[in-house]
This record gives sequence, C-alpha cells and structure tokens, in this order.
Amino acid sequence: MKTKIASIVAAALLAFPMLVYSAPVKIGFINSITGKEAQIGENLTNGAAMAIEDLNAKGIQVELFKEDDGGDPKNALAAYEKLVTRDAVVGVVGPYTSGCANVVASRADQYQVPLLVPAAAKEEITMKGYKNVFRLNAPANVYSRVLMDAVKAYKPKTIAFVYAATDFGVSTVKTAQENAVKMGLKEVANEKYQQGQPDYRPSLSKVKAANPDLVFLVSYDADAILLMRQAKEIGLTPKAFLGAGAGYTTAQFAQQTEISNFVVSATQWTDDVNWAGAADFGKRYKTKFGKEPSYHAACAYEALRIMALTASKAKNPASLRAALKAGSWSGIMGPVKFADYNGFTNQNNHPMLVQQIQNGKYETVYPASFSKKKLVYPFKR
Amino acid sequence: MKQIALVTILAAAAIALPLIIGENPYMTGILISVLMMAALSSAWNILGGYAGQYSFGHAAYFGAGAYTTLILLTNYSTLNPLICMAAGIIVASLIALITGTIVFRLRGHYFGLASIAVAEIVRLSVLNFEFTGGAQGILLSDISLWGLDLNSKNPFYYGMLLVLAVTLGITAYLRTSKTGYYLMAIREDQDAASSLGINLSFYKNKSLVISAALTSVLGSLYGLYIRFIDTSAVLDLRLSIEIILTAIIGGVGTLWGPVVGALLLVPLAEMLRSNLLGDALVKAGLVSDTSAFGIFLKENLAHAHVLVYGIITVLCILYLPKGVLGLFRRTK
Amino acid sequence: MSFLQPLLSGTLTGGVYALAGIGMSLVFGVMNISNFAHGDLMMLGMYLAYFAFTLLHIDPYLSLVLLIPTAFMFGFLLEKLFINKVINHPHQNQILLTIGLGLIMSNTALLAFTSDPKILTTSYSSSAFNLPGGISISVPLLLSFLITCVIIAMLYLFLSKTTTGMALRATSQNREAAQLMGINVAKMSAIAFGLGTALAATAGALIAPTYYIHPLVGHSFLLKAFTICVLGGLGSVVGAGVGGIIIGVVEAMSSTYLSSDWKDVVVFVLFLAVLLLRPQGLFGKKGGQS
Repeated sequence: MKTKIASIVAAALLAFPMLVYSAPVKIGFINSITGKEAQIGENLTNGAAMAIEDLNAKGIQVELFKEDDGGDPKNALAAYEKLVTRDAVVGVVGPYTSGCANVVASRADQYQVPLLVPAAAKEEITMKGYKNVFRLNAPANVYSRVLMDAVKAYKPKTIAFVYAATDFGVSTVKTAQENAVKMGLKEVANEKYQQGQPDYRPSLSKVKAANPDLVFLVSYDADAILLMRQAKEIGLTPKAFLGAGAGYTTAQFAQQTEISNFVVSATQWTDDVNWAGAADFGKRYKTKFGKEPSYHAACAYEALRIMALTASKAKNPASLRAALKAGSWSGIMGPVKFADYNGFTNQNNHPMLVQQIQNGKYETVYPASFSKKKLVYPFKR
Repeated sequence: MKQIALVTILAAAAIALPLIIGENPYMTGILISVLMMAALSSAWNILGGYAGQYSFGHAAYFGAGAYTTLILLTNYSTLNPLICMAAGIIVASLIALITGTIVFRLRGHYFGLASIAVAEIVRLSVLNFEFTGGAQGILLSDISLWGLDLNSKNPFYYGMLLVLAVTLGITAYLRTSKTGYYLMAIREDQDAASSLGINLSFYKNKSLVISAALTSVLGSLYGLYIRFIDTSAVLDLRLSIEIILTAIIGGVGTLWGPVVGALLLVPLAEMLRSNLLGDALVKAGLVSDTSAFGIFLKENLAHAHVLVYGIITVLCILYLPKGVLGLFRRTK
Repeated sequence: MSFLQPLLSGTLTGGVYALAGIGMSLVFGVMNISNFAHGDLMMLGMYLAYFAFTLLHIDPYLSLVLLIPTAFMFGFLLEKLFINKVINHPHQNQILLTIGLGLIMSNTALLAFTSDPKILTTSYSSSAFNLPGGISISVPLLLSFLITCVIIAMLYLFLSKTTTGMALRATSQNREAAQLMGINVAKMSAIAFGLGTALAATAGALIAPTYYIHPLVGHSFLLKAFTICVLGGLGSVVGAGVGGIIIGVVEAMSSTYLSSDWKDVVVFVLFLAVLLLRPQGLFGKKGGQS
C-alpha cells in the first residue's frame, strides 16, 4: 500500500513539471529537398511548414529536425540514424520516395522509433509486418483500382498503358494490369518509357494504332504535359485518359487546358473534397506559397500534425507507437486510422479520390459520396 | 621502416575505432561510407592513377557486385553471402573484360566516353529487365553469415576496412612490381611503352579487371549493408564521378591520395547534407538564429549542398590540381 | 503503321540534338576538352528563352537574337575565368572542372528558379500540320528544325569564309602549328567556347517550346551531345550535324519497332559500334583520336 502511494506521488511529481512547462516535442522529418524528386519534396516541405504553424497556434511546441535524403536510400538511412541517435526524436515523418522509405522502414523496428510515411506508394513498405512503420497515404494498388472503378459503369473494353520506367510507374501499372483482368479489360498496348525524353510520338502513335478505350498513364512532373501535348498533336483520342497521380495532379497540368481538359486522375486529396478543413487548407496554402497545394503537401501536413499531436502526449517512442496504433484522427485527409488488413500492417485505409479537369480546374468526380461534379465520359477535345 | 610503423599505427587505430566510439550507429555509418569511398577510389586509382585510363563508368562494376549478390540472395536465401560476392566478382570481371576488349583500342577522351556508354548500357538493361527487379529495385530481407549480427554496423565496418586494406596492399605491391612499372610506362607514353614490347591491351585489361573485381566486392558489401538497391543508388553516373573526384582531390596516382580524398569529402558531404555546418555556425554564436542570414543558412544551406560541392570541386581543380597530397610532395 | 511518321519526327528532333552536338564538337576540336557542362548551358538557354517570353513577351524563336550574343559572352567569360586555367592539365581534371561548373550552374538555377518545371506555352505549342496518310508534323518542332538549318549554314559560312573562322579551324587541326603561324590560340579557345555555349543555349531555346524547363534537364542532353560528337567524329561540325539526325531517327525507329524503354540502349550500342569500327567517327579525320 505504502509503495503504491509513493509511486503515485512520484508519478504526480514527475507529471507536474510537464503541466507548467512543456518542452517542445522533437520530431524528425526526412524529405527529398535536392535531387530528382526535389520538386515534389518542396510540396512536402511546404505542407510540413504549415503543420508546424498550426500546431504552434494551438500551443503545441514542435522542434522539427529536417533532413534531406536527396532521393538516395543511403542518405535516408544516415538521416534516420542521426535523428534517432543524435537528436533523440520521438518519431519521424518521411521519407518521400519509395526507395528511401523502404530502407528506413526496414530499420525502424531495430531502433524502435516510429516512422510515419506520408506519401510513398510502394505497397511492401507496410506489408512486412514492421511494428514501428505507419503509412498515411493509400498504396500503389489503390491508384489504379479507384480509377477503373470510376469508369466501370461506362463499360470500356480495351486499355493501353503508357508509363515511366520508375518504381512508381512500374508498381502502379502492375496492379493496374491485375485490376484490368478482373474487370475483363483487354490490354492492347504497353509502352514503358525512360523519363525526360523530348519525343514520345513513336510510343503514342503505337497506342493510337491500337485504338484503346482507356489510356492509363503514369508520369512525373512535366512529362505528363509533354505526353498530352504530343497525344493531341498526333490525334490520340481514347474514351478516357486515366492519369495515376503524380504529374497528372499538378496545378500546372490543369492550367494547360488545351491539352489537359477532361483528363481523369487519381489523387490522395483534393481541396473540394468534403473532409474537414480541406478547403481551408487549400486556400491558406495558396495565399502562403502562391500556388495550389498538391496532394503531397496535404499528406505531409496531416502526417506531421498527427505525429506531433500524438507525440506531444506520448513523450517517448514506445508509447508513441502504442498511441499511433490505437488512435484515430480526422482532418484534411478525412478519417485516419492505422489498421491491419489484407496483409498490410499499420496502414491507413485511405479512400482515394478521382478528379477530372473541367475548365482548367480539378473537380472531384468519384466516389460519389465525396464529390459534387459528374464525370464527363467519353473524353472530347 | 618509419613507413611500416606509421601504417601499423594507422591500421591499429582503424581497427580500434568502433570500440572507441562505441554504440553510435550514425557515426559508424559515416565511417563505413568513408571506408567504402576510400576503397572505391583506391580501386579506381589502380586503373586511373597508375595505368592512366580514366574510367567514368566504375558504377557498372559496383552495380554488378551489388546486383549479383542481391539477386542470388533473393532467389536462394540460404546461400552464403560470400559465395554471392564471389559470383559478383565473376560478373564484374566479365563486364570488365568485354569493356576492355572494346574500349582499350581507344585513347584519351574516347576511353572515358566509351566507359560511360558501357555503364549506361548496364544501367538501362538492369532497369529494363524483370529478373533484376527493374525500376522497383531489390529489397533484401534478413541475411545471416556465421551468426554475425548483420543489423549492427560493425561487421560492415570491418568488411569495408578489409577491402580497403587489400586494395591498398595491391596498390603498394603494384608500385614496385613489373606490372606496376609497365602500367606507369603506359600512362606516361603509350607509344613508347608499346615500342618497348609492352603488351598494351594485356596490362590495361589486367589493371581493369583487378580494379573492377575490387569495386564489385564493395558493391556486394553495400548491397548487404543497405539491403535495398536500385539503379539510381548503385549504377548512376554520379557515383562514377564521385569516385574520380575523391581520387583527384586526394591525389591521383598516389597510394594514400584516395584515402585522404574520402576522409575529406565524405564527412563534408554529410555535414552539408545534414546542415551540421549551418547549425554549427548558429550554435557557435557566429550567426544569430533570428537574423536574415541565420534563417537563410538554416533554410537554404540544405538546398545548396550540391552547389557547395560544385564550388569546392572547381576550387580544388583550379588551385590543387595535384590533389591534397600534391601539396606535400616535391614536384618532379 | 507508317514508316514515315517516326522518320519525320526523328529527323526534326534530331536537328535540335545536332545543334547541341555541334557546339560540343567545336569546343572539343579547338580546345581538346570534353565539356561536361554542355547540358547545363543548354538548360540556361531554356531559362533565358522562358524569361524572355514570360517577362518581355518575346517569342522564343525571336528571342534568339538576344540570346545568342548573351550566351556567347557568358561562354567567353567562362573560358577566360576557368577553362583557360586548366588547358594544359590532364583530361580528367578538365572534365571535373566542367562537371563542377555544371553543378554550380544547375544548383544555382535550382535555388533561383526552384525545382518546379516551367512550361513555355506558346499559341502554337501543341499544333501540328496533318499530312495525308495520318502523318502529323509538330509546328514548333518544324520551326526549330528550320532555324537549326539556318544556324548551321551560317556557322559553316563563318568557319570557311571568315578569317576568324579559318583561324579556328587551323587551331582545331593543329594547335602548335597554328600558334607558330601567329594565330592567337588563347583567343581562339575563348571564341570557340563562346560559340559552343551560344550553340548549346540556342539548342536549349529551340527545344524549350516543345519540352519543359527544369534546372536538372541538362544531364539527359549531355550524354546525347557526346554520342553525337563521337558519332560524327570529335571536332567535326558537319559530322555532328549528321550525327544528331542519325540519333534522332534511330531513337524514333527503335521506339517504334523495338520498344521505347530500350531505345537509349540502342543508341549507346550504336555509339560503341562506331567507336569500334570507325574510331575517328563518320566524318572525323583519321588519327585524330589521341
């Protein structure tokens, strides 16, 4: 009895200073600030900066340790090890690229410091049963599934794939092929390309000759604009262009109305979805950074917010892991819960959205519960 | 005699280092990178520094080791990693021999450009084939070797150290052997060497294969250490260039030059990447945290680390063309 | 599928590659330096054209009038300040210097212009002529090709008819002999590097309306420029011109009849084959490979 009282008193004494003075919670953030993925990395940086601002406004002090991996797994590992051993952070958000996230995730259980992956799509990251790895965004297979679900009602018969020879491109198309078989779609062309080429016309001409109902595209950045320009030039007009995330979800792409109008794309987030705070986040982001937020920005914002909120109560990595596992949140990314399902561990079963560019603006068109506008099908110039 | 004593002290220090710094994975990780770059650059130096053949495609051999090892281990997980490493050596040597046969008939610029072409063919083939994991790369699950804890860093530290020692040993031996003299003769004047009866392509190929084999072992070690490889991590032109840069900044054609280069460049790159430099300036009170310059340092130095790297390269080439070791050596 | 479509689009794209290749070949011939910053100079040309278009509202093709002299001066200064200092150094030092300069250029651009790719959209960016037989020709690509032809013709006249041009060629053929003949080879080097830079920047500006602009785009064009140079024979202007078109057509053909992800491999294999069978390149002078 005596010892019990003593321990309660001791616990109260220990807890007391925290009530009057709460030290900033230390969180690590690994991102690709330089290197090939720097453009998307910048969106994540901006999203994280807004999260810190909002957390500070709520009185939650965060000391953020920012690390650059340059897209190199070796650097990502060094960054993670620095964060957990030198800087003694309680949790880490990142890295952005699938390769880096894969490597860091494989070490998270060794160091026992939770890792929250905000936007890397590779499925295996949360399929290895790592206890300390959590992922906010939906993995690669959801991109193709949601896109095909959106056009299912129109009964397309054939599909062609045009995609970048990158991890994301290949992974997404692999799952898309499985989904296509399930839907009874016939694959009529498969064009994998090396990024950054000036001339995609030969590949697109082959696709045009196969005359598919659906053209499924995975491209980064400006390649998306280039491909659609050249598709218009050679007169490729399927019933729908389906773009899986990345290059087809940028504001810059939407602005090129001449080529991008009615292109359908899958995304983790839009600013017109009816999730709490999404529209407001979009507006504030635009004022602050002078451009539309991409879904990566929203993912980073929400990941960091969840990490900081949870960590400010949990204080140490072990209880942070338990709190992440047990908790649920609701914010600009909709409801978030890290669950175990279909072979995934600690994976947020995030519903992806399908959007279509209509008059230079992204409009959410699927699933119906989140959308205001209707899909325009078939595609027209 | 003095030299032997010095080398013994250095070796003892290198062996004891992990024990001194203790359980510090971050620091050990940086040391592993230093050793790896020193060994890579030393292996390149055998071909570039002594035979005078500037290969811009050494990433191909590094990648050959890493890919062979990881492909074998994903398919036959019970295989001893050392056997996979040996297989990597064979693959890298084969690529080296094919390359050598094609490109050693060429000289100067042509050799450098052709070595890039070969490396790009290897990189693009790995990217396009399915069995190599293609663009998705290869992620390795746990591996085991003689009950060593391969999640800890020390086995890799000593592995890299051993390869570095072997590479330096071969270099030191070459310097005083017949082969070494022939190589240096080829470097100084190919035509004269040829007219003296030196079989140019035999000796060039010999040094290329030695260099490629050592590079592939390092690639295997890297693959086992990081346990994830893709083409941009192990087959990129940037890696080849980093290897040469390290040798040149240390001192090409010297025994210790590549080691000195790695000791300087790797920690510098890490300090720039992790913004330790910017933080240190702020912490030392030299720059105020809230001043415009302080904010600039904190926010932008991370973005600018490759820029700083470029500036250092240019300054080194202009003012230290013989490398850091060149400073201490009498000009011939 | 039509055989003519890839042939045409390959030729037109190859024309712009050719311009980049010629710039590099010129520098190589006169100075005996492999310029690894060439791709980054192209990138600077792209940004110049972009800002001329967005800030000054000058059509990217018209902006060449401003861009060429600016780029020439930039290259001239670059040579005087840096390249010139290593002209007698070993090859690998020269290469690393240009790599360092390239890193400085691309990463300064990254800081200044951010990593958001810029798209230069003109009124004719995605318009095309449609020929009978379902063949289409991109308008901006055709314009770029025609301008390339004019520039190559002018360069050819300059090199063969003017005193400076002849001095450049003499330096290219034999640096020592040219010096003995009283040619100021240091000045020729600066002029050659200036011209090389101007050509790279022009190639960048010409490709900008059909491509995108990003601080790190230089890399992919650098390897192409090298391949073209070697194919045509290092130092040969005509060779680089033909080499560029060959590369463009080979790329288009191999992505049509083989597969688009293997087309770069085809180009590099071709490159090695030329090195093996004809080391001096298609148009190079014999024995020039030292």
